[in-house]
Amino acid sequence: MKTIRLSLTTEETVPIEAERISPDQMAGLELDQIKCLEAWLGNRRITLDALFSIQVEGEAQGPESTTIVLEGDFSRVKRVGERMTAGSVIAKGNLGMHAGNNMIGGDIHIMGDAGDWLGREMRGGKIVVDGDAGNYVGAGYRGERCGMRGGDIVIAGSAGAFLGEHLCGGSIRVEGNCGDFPGAANQGGSIFIGGSTHLPGAEMVKGSIIVGGHAHMLPSFVRMEDVEMEGERFVKFSGDLVENGKGEILVAETV
Amino acid sequence: MIIRGGIVYDPANGIYGEEMDLFIEGGRIAEEAAGPELDASGLLVMPGGVDAHSHIAGTKVNTGRIMRPDDSRMGTEPRNPVCRPCTGYTVPNCYAIGYRYARMGYTTAFEAATPIINARHTHEELEEIPILDKGALTLFGSNWTVLECVRDKDLAKLAAYVAWGLRASRGYGVKIVNPGGGEAWGFGANVKGLYDTVPNFDVTPAEIIESLAKANEMLGLPHSIHLHFNNLGKPGNYTTAIETLDLLKGVQASRMRQVVHIAHMQFSAYGGTGWKDFESKGPAIADYFNRHSHATMDLGMVLFGPATTMTADGPLEYANSRLLHAKWANCDYELEDSSGVVPLVYGRKMPINAIQWAIGLELALMTKDPWKVIMTTDHPNGAPFVNYPEVIALLMSRPKREEEIATVHELVKSRTALPTLEREMDWTDIAVMTRAGPARILGLEDKGHLGKGADGDVAVYNLRPDEIDPSRDHALVKAALAKARYTIKGGTLVARDGEILSAPPGRTYWVDAGVAEADANRLMADLKDKFDRYYSIQISNYMVQDAYISHPNVIRAGLQVREGEDRSSHALAREA
Repeated sequence: MKTIRLSLTTEETVPIEAERISPDQMAGLELDQIKCLEAWLGNRRITLDALFSIQVEGEAQGPESTTIVLEGDFSRVKRVGERMTAGSVIAKGNLGMHAGNNMIGGDIHIMGDAGDWLGREMRGGKIVVDGDAGNYVGAGYRGERCGMRGGDIVIAGSAGAFLGEHLCGGSIRVEGNCGDFPGAANQGGSIFIGGSTHLPGAEMVKGSIIVGGHAHMLPSFVRMEDVEMEGERFVKFSGDLVENGKGEILVAETV
Repeated sequence: MIIRGGIVYDPANGIYGEEMDLFIEGGRIAEEAAGPELDASGLLVMPGGVDAHSHIAGTKVNTGRIMRPDDSRMGTEPRNPVCRPCTGYTVPNCYAIGYRYARMGYTTAFEAATPIINARHTHEELEEIPILDKGALTLFGSNWTVLECVRDKDLAKLAAYVAWGLRASRGYGVKIVNPGGGEAWGFGANVKGLYDTVPNFDVTPAEIIESLAKANEMLGLPHSIHLHFNNLGKPGNYTTAIETLDLLKGVQASRMRQVVHIAHMQFSAYGGTGWKDFESKGPAIADYFNRHSHATMDLGMVLFGPATTMTADGPLEYANSRLLHAKWANCDYELEDSSGVVPLVYGRKMPINAIQWAIGLELALMTKDPWKVIMTTDHPNGAPFVNYPEVIALLMSRPKREEEIATVHELVKSRTALPTLEREMDWTDIAVMTRAGPARILGLEDKGHLGKGADGDVAVYNLRPDEIDPSRDHALVKAALAKARYTIKGGTLVARDGEILSAPPGRTYWVDAGVAEADANRLMADLKDKFDRYYSIQISNYMVQDAYISHPNVIRAGLQVREGEDRSSHALAREA
């Protein structure tokens, strides 16, 4: 088991792009090599030791036995855990945009808040956020036809707009409220929103969205029968008819 | 510059794999030269590649870029001391187009379709494409003035308009896309065959094509008409293709070349009554080309993977977007044409895509004379041009084709003739289809060959033609063609082993054709009225100014060539 601890030594105001902070990139490296990994500070190319103090404990066979612990406020650090296939990343505080981009396996635990584009286009693995998450959780990046295809994202707090846009698989669970247009252009997968939201499922063709609170529905959804689930009543909607869609939305209270 | 000891394939000059030295002096092939020497001992040497049909510049290419940020991310390369940053795969940015062609040993590429009204944009992009020599074909198939001249059977005025349109757009040749359809699409309709009437003009596609072909030959343009058939992309459209080709049999060529070049033939070689019984008619089309000599084609080969379809055939793109539930852009060019852009992915397990893939190969392999066929993917409609080495490897190796056939949809075995084809092309065939042929078809006298005075464009590949067997070593062939050992453009070494060493600007070819002053005057009176009444811009803002072409190469044609003076050409310039 190998544990790599990174803590920020400076307080940066410009974004840091550090896609090499990932178990796959770091598992086989010695401390000195990790220190020399490249990152971008704004438009400047730097090495990780310029920004972080880094400690390594133990040995790893591969990424699956590697844990990366991030201490401090990483809200300006982007692309952590990009394309990771195994192992884990634990952020003790906040974590910046694009955490878990294209993630394939392993897990990311964010104890603070997550930035925008959390788990965008992820294919597998699990992301847990104890706080809130930004916009475009599990979405497809600009122009992409498919967002998240597999894996799980669980957010204890609230999430921003366009949650799970272009979702093609996997599941996203938000305990709190969600911004506008969750599940826009969905082609599969499932979304659970514990709180309330606005205009879910625009242009969805497949998949399901459950809203535990209230939601304002688009007029292009057909109201179906009421259903009961775990002792609670939901109104079922089908759509989006704009796309001849067969998506399913269950809402506890409609506005 | 001296290139020593290469095995040279220069079919235009009857050289088929001879060991020889090449000399380049003042940017041109010479009999002797001084300067640096490149060692090409035993390596494959050909003229620089020429792409006669590729969508590399203009509004629809840019629309593709705008609607596909996802594509932009597929091909990012950071800048370096020589190269500017690159993006994109199916719709690369201007810089990437130049560098990527040059890496493959290509030194010339022609943009396949530009409406006159948007030609300035096309030239702004062409200016930014490094290294390559280039040109743009101008769209004439649905322009109101063309339709009116055809209706009035006024060929002299039509020729004057073609000459003026080429001058206005700084264009190289006459492109015709789904003639009449671009106009009909303005009303949500299309023309469904050669003898369907264009709304409001009382002319048929057959009349438009025949008249433009005759006008093209009256002007003696270096290139023939360049035609995208009606009904392109529809099952059963091979009958339209053959009907159209028959229509042009009687047209007399003004130069030693074809009278019609067919763009992306693959998309018009379809049988069946619908998508369910869709099948290849590649053999029937190849047979037609084997029996006739008035037409040439480029393949428009489809390869599996992402593509961005873009064409002035607006209704076709609407159909594509509905069929595939894909993103769609549509445009209307005032009095000229329409266009559309739809991104898609060709899947090897999709029956239609697999059959399309096979048709491209059938056309190339079954047409006996390689001078009639240009190897293209109709970039980026069938596949991005960076995949040319894959096409060449498929054409040269039956084992490779068999490997591929085993992985594609099984309908390829029953609906196409590809599995039965034994032909394996040799380096002469490839040199013709990628160099000598396209240059001759376009009428580029200094391109596609290595004779004295030709442009000093040379490609040297890391392949030893005397040692390798392309049939067996197809992987080597593909890898070597993707990264030329040396690419020399106009006597400058621009790329070595895939690395760009220098990026000089290329030239832009356009054709200045003179016409009789009386015809020009009649035309200008008519155009003045059109600009006053209909166009959104003034005629003075419509013409592409010389400032937009910093390295022009103007080819003279039309009357002044015959009469030895260019008074008539000036008449057009003065009026404009």
